Amino acid sequence: MGEKLEQYLRHLPKVEPGRSFAPSVMACIAERARPSYRRYKRWVVALAAVALFVLMLTTNLPLTPRLELFGYRTVRLVFCSTVRNPKTVAVAGDFSDWESIPMERVDENCFALTLRLRPGKYEYGFLVDGKWVPDPLSLRAVADGFGSVNSVLVVDGDTE
Amino acid sequence: MWEQSDREIIQEVLNGNKDLFAVLVARYEKPIFNYVYGLVRQRQDAEDLTQEAFVKAFFALRTYRDSFEFSTWMYRIARNVCLDYFRRQRIRSFFSLNTPVGEEEEEELGDFLPEGKDPEEGVLKEELLERVSQAVGQLPLKFREVIVLRYVEELSYEEIARILDVPVGTVKTYLHRAKAKLRELLGEEFS
Repeated sequence: MGEKLEQYLRHLPKVEPGRSFAPSVMACIAERARPSYRRYKRWVVALAAVALFVLMLTTNLPLTPRLELFGYRTVRLVFCSTVRNPKTVAVAGDFSDWESIPMERVDENCFALTLRLRPGKYEYGFLVDGKWVPDPLSLRAVADGFGSVNSVLVVDGDTE
Repeated sequence: MWEQSDREIIQEVLNGNKDLFAVLVARYEKPIFNYVYGLVRQRQDAEDLTQEAFVKAFFALRTYRDSFEFSTWMYRIARNVCLDYFRRQRIRSFFSLNTPVGEEEEEELGDFLPEGKDPEEGVLKEELLERVSQAVGQLPLKFREVIVLRYVEELSYEEIARILDVPVGTVKTYLHRAKAKLRELLGEEFS
């Protein structure tokens, strides 16, 4: 009886592709052989992702402003001058390699700046119209070795 | 029709005469399509997958080594394309598929009128043939595959073993188990 089953199996219907099958295969090959942006799409996307990742890790650009990823904390520095209406106020510290960063004026005498810093201890000070001024609101200060003092900013590791 | 061997055509395609690949497509489109159709049992999907297999073969032609026949290599590519298809459908390659036979297939069965093949009656019973076809569709994929390769494609055990990359003994075991399963599905008529 096993032969009967095999007999039927040998006569299972055979099917054929449509008549235009071979031409459509060749058309598909021609289409895919053509240089196209799509062929490189995955590489473009991968490179963009790597570039973004590197920027997020190595810069303070506001790429992840709210998420506090990778250990950065948002710190807002405010300086209110005792001198009336100073022209420029900037902040400099070891978080900026002592390069001055201009602060934004929030009212007649007050200036503010938001920084994204990793947890740690930073020395800094303000430049008010070019003159070095320690942060009057800071509770800590250390000598700067030039006869003046630097303020100390402590950024803790807790999520804000 | 075309006298060149597969290997000669492949060499010419690799030398830049790409249009000649159409000869290979024409030469193997029917067996590969039958094989793919036997696995997926959907005509449109089978056409798409067969096309994909030939396109992949074209772009991988440089990796073809003539330790295999081109046909064996094509079956292997088609098999991988089908497995990808099943994966996409979240169906594992060794998962039992209970795909019902579609109307289209039933029509094809209706058109098929074998003559003088039955040793007892001289004619195969159409209704039984339809039941056998449906039962094959209910087999787990690995069993269905060996049934299609052996009885539809009429390949030798050795060829099937090369395509599936398993020992010949495994092919025979699969076939034995597949037929046992078919007899179980078909009931008394075939037991």
